[in-house]
Amino acid sequence: MSRLATTILLFGFLLFILFWRLDEPSGPLSRTRMLMGTVVEIRVDDPEPERFRDAVTAAFDEMARIERLMSLHLAKSEVSRISRAGEPVEVSAETATVLRTALKVSVASDGAFNPGLGRLIRLWGFTDGEPRVPSKMEIEEALVGIGPESLTLEDGKLFKSDRSITIDLGGVAKGYAIDRAVEMLSAAGVKHASVNAGGDLRLLGDRDGTPWRIGIQHPRKKDAVLATLSVADRAVVTSGDYERFFEQAGRRYHHILDPYTGYPAERCQEVTVVADSAALADALATAAFVLGPEKGLELLQKTEKVEGLIVAADGQVVFTSGLQEIVQWP
Amino acid sequence: MALRQIWARMTRLDRLIVVSVAFLCLLLFIGIGLSRPGETVEVYRDGELVFRAPLQEERTVPLEGSLGTTSLMIEGGTARIVDSPCPYKVCVGMGAIDHSGEIIACVPNRLLVRVVSQDESGKEPGYDLLSR
Repeated sequence: MSRLATTILLFGFLLFILFWRLDEPSGPLSRTRMLMGTVVEIRVDDPEPERFRDAVTAAFDEMARIERLMSLHLAKSEVSRISRAGEPVEVSAETATVLRTALKVSVASDGAFNPGLGRLIRLWGFTDGEPRVPSKMEIEEALVGIGPESLTLEDGKLFKSDRSITIDLGGVAKGYAIDRAVEMLSAAGVKHASVNAGGDLRLLGDRDGTPWRIGIQHPRKKDAVLATLSVADRAVVTSGDYERFFEQAGRRYHHILDPYTGYPAERCQEVTVVADSAALADALATAAFVLGPEKGLELLQKTEKVEGLIVAADGQVVFTSGLQEIVQWP
Repeated sequence: MALRQIWARMTRLDRLIVVSVAFLCLLLFIGIGLSRPGETVEVYRDGELVFRAPLQEERTVPLEGSLGTTSLMIEGGTARIVDSPCPYKVCVGMGAIDHSGEIIACVPNRLLVRVVSQDESGKEPGYDLLSR
């Protein structure tokens, strides 16, 4: 073979190798851990994400710390201690912050979201024990004295109108843990990241110059999305009747309980809320789900810097006016 | 033209080799561009990767968790949990997964099964994250 042909051959081969090397992806750093009864995924999209490995571990540890502080299932947690207390009880600054968000939404929603629902939730067995439909009498007993004014926070002390009221911060505590994880990542210098706790999301920055595209689960089609939102630096939380449920005597009972009736709320299939914090988004999503499409939409509209969409029980979709700018329908 | 001169100086065999190599390179480029690396099943226990296998290799795998053995079945390009020592078997009820990003979690047994695609651009949905 001539020298020229050999040169061309070699050149072709080098080009091929170069192309191959360039093609190798340097993807985002993504890690998962099981926390708060769900799967939490933290993803860092910054260039050279490996340098933030320790920051991601610290963010997970922070979420685990908040779980230990606010879980109702851990007897030593602060929330368990508050729940047992009869007298006005001092709460840590951190738990007070979460309680304030919860109580604010409770008042704004006229009690549709209620952080004093622990007794009722335990009765239905959604979080521990075998889920079952309680008797009418049991439900009525669990609802006694749990109105929106039954809990007040003054000078770092929590006042309960009835000592048997059990606090369940549920989703709001999870939302707060997500918010704290994002703060930790941001403090470590991360610019583009997402924290996803079982579908409750908060985004740090944009993805890489473009907004994150967030699919909203279709409430009745497992493999489909209802809409896609383009968002950056915000929290997106969805509450749906398909998430956790059980069946008894041919009827389906889901986990979002209506504090007025004591039974699963029936006015919605799904609510998605976009807000600055995951804690607020979570409380609002639950409240709007209980209130239904009309009053729920009113609540979302009147809350500042909040957008959202509601799928009513009949499948009809309503949404806040500002959502139009960030939503794409399939 | 220099190229024409080069071409004229080549023997027939040289030309054959050059054309074949060029053709081969083209095929490889197209092959790399179009073929998606197979999807892979990963199993994590407490955040540690404990098992990894292509979704195309059929098998049943015993996975040790904190409560006991969970059985993972890989069949027909999908992964599902067929047996678990956890009390409510939510993980068994979650059915089969086959798309990149899909997850089956058995929280009581501390196991997480997920499908990953080595090629992120091969991710099929039109979104980055799913809110549910």
